[in-house]
Amino acid sequence: MFLWFAIFSTRSAGGDQNINGMGMNSYLAYALWAAFFARISANWAYEFRMSDEIESGSINSLLTKPMSFFEYYLFQLLGHKAVTTFFSLMIPLALSMALPWPMNLSRIPLAIILVFYYLVLVHLIAMCVTTTGFFINRTGSITVAKNLILWLLTGELVPLDIVPSPWKEYLLVLPFSSGVYYPVAYITGRIGHREMLTGFLSVTAGIIVVGSFMVFYWRQGLRKYVGTGA
Amino acid sequence: MILEKLKLLKKYCGIYYSFFKASLIADLEYRANFAARIVTDVVWYFAQIMTFTVLFKYRPTIGGWNLQEMNVFLGILFVTDAFFMIILYDNLERFSDKIRKGDLDFLLVKPINSQFMVSFQKLAIAIFGNLLIGTAWLLWSFSKLPNPEPIRLLWLLILIPCSFGIVYSIRFMMSSVALIFTKTENTQFLFYQLYRLSMRPDSIYSIKVRYVLMSVFPFALIASVPARAVLFEANPMLFAWTVAVTIILIYLSTRFWNYCLKFYTSASS
Repeated sequence: MFLWFAIFSTRSAGGDQNINGMGMNSYLAYALWAAFFARISANWAYEFRMSDEIESGSINSLLTKPMSFFEYYLFQLLGHKAVTTFFSLMIPLALSMALPWPMNLSRIPLAIILVFYYLVLVHLIAMCVTTTGFFINRTGSITVAKNLILWLLTGELVPLDIVPSPWKEYLLVLPFSSGVYYPVAYITGRIGHREMLTGFLSVTAGIIVVGSFMVFYWRQGLRKYVGTGA
Repeated sequence: MILEKLKLLKKYCGIYYSFFKASLIADLEYRANFAARIVTDVVWYFAQIMTFTVLFKYRPTIGGWNLQEMNVFLGILFVTDAFFMIILYDNLERFSDKIRKGDLDFLLVKPINSQFMVSFQKLAIAIFGNLLIGTAWLLWSFSKLPNPEPIRLLWLLILIPCSFGIVYSIRFMMSSVALIFTKTENTQFLFYQLYRLSMRPDSIYSIKVRYVLMSVFPFALIASVPARAVLFEANPMLFAWTVAVTIILIYLSTRFWNYCLKFYTSASS
């Protein structure tokens, strides 16, 4: 937010105070809601735990249970994120209502649904990274690298619509923009229902592609696994 | 007296060299993990550079700094951060785990300074590659300035160690709290939120916030002051203040560590 204040206190070379047709309040609202959604759409702790299960061998006890490893962690992740969403929502909601920043209250539920749908894709990617642990044992740094790349692609740093073409178009068509950009842009009025639909469709495509690969990769990984530390 | 101090220094240099060798062997055992650590920081550098590259498409200056100056600032930030990642990150990130699992006991009983042992036992060797990348970016962006004065880079020999000292002291004190409360994940989160304030030039903040960031939470001294030393006319008072704050914070970190140790009740045995 400090950065946006500094940017808007300087005039552009052409004298236009707005950026991409939007004023300072719009960018402040974006920064506020982006921080909230970035926290919801990232998966650090559960992915580290999943990797630890393979590295330490404690996955053995989970593999013998009448449920899949995927489901076991997916529902933990979604449950944790539901609680986080409930409590973290208070701050941006209160600030947005107190300040004259653009916000459409009725759009929040659909934005949250999109992020939770995106979390399924995030979990599938986390499963792929975790499965790599069957082959190379330690995957902690891969998790960090992958999460940083996702963070860059979601649009938390800057709204993706101000990124120069053709990068903007590439970023918007990728499913990762549904983690932060689409929900925040929807709430703050930068985009409409049609673009939100694009977000849902791109996440669906991502789930199909990553999900298919994950199933294949997981089976290969289990074949390779020798149950260390059991 | 001086001879004894030199012997002690030699002993600690020898121990640190042993830490280096042990870390190198441990890191090379997991090569994919080693490579991923380099990629991680490159992505982070890329994110920072891209953010400002995009923003400067819309404004000629931000907080009074133009794109070339901002790139030099980022170069200094990358170098400082690389030192932090190489020397401290692995040691302090899971410090509360060491307390919970009782591993700290084994460090405390060793016949060397416990603060040294806790802070410097593990080095992230992979990040040396990032230090090179950060330095290369700094030198490249410095060469792109309209009138670069290479002599000014000498200030960095004093100010970058100060930046490291400041980050170290604050991070170490925040980690030391784990000796009292055991679980301190939120303290870590707070540290990184404050550390993020150092990732922007101090001039983007309002006067009041800048005062706070130069004194109470001296995060503006980490990258902004070294960048000012390289880019603008030297401000000896500001540099002297940076050195003084570093010395005070390192002293406080030692005092605070000894204070927190009084609360430590072993978790193992």
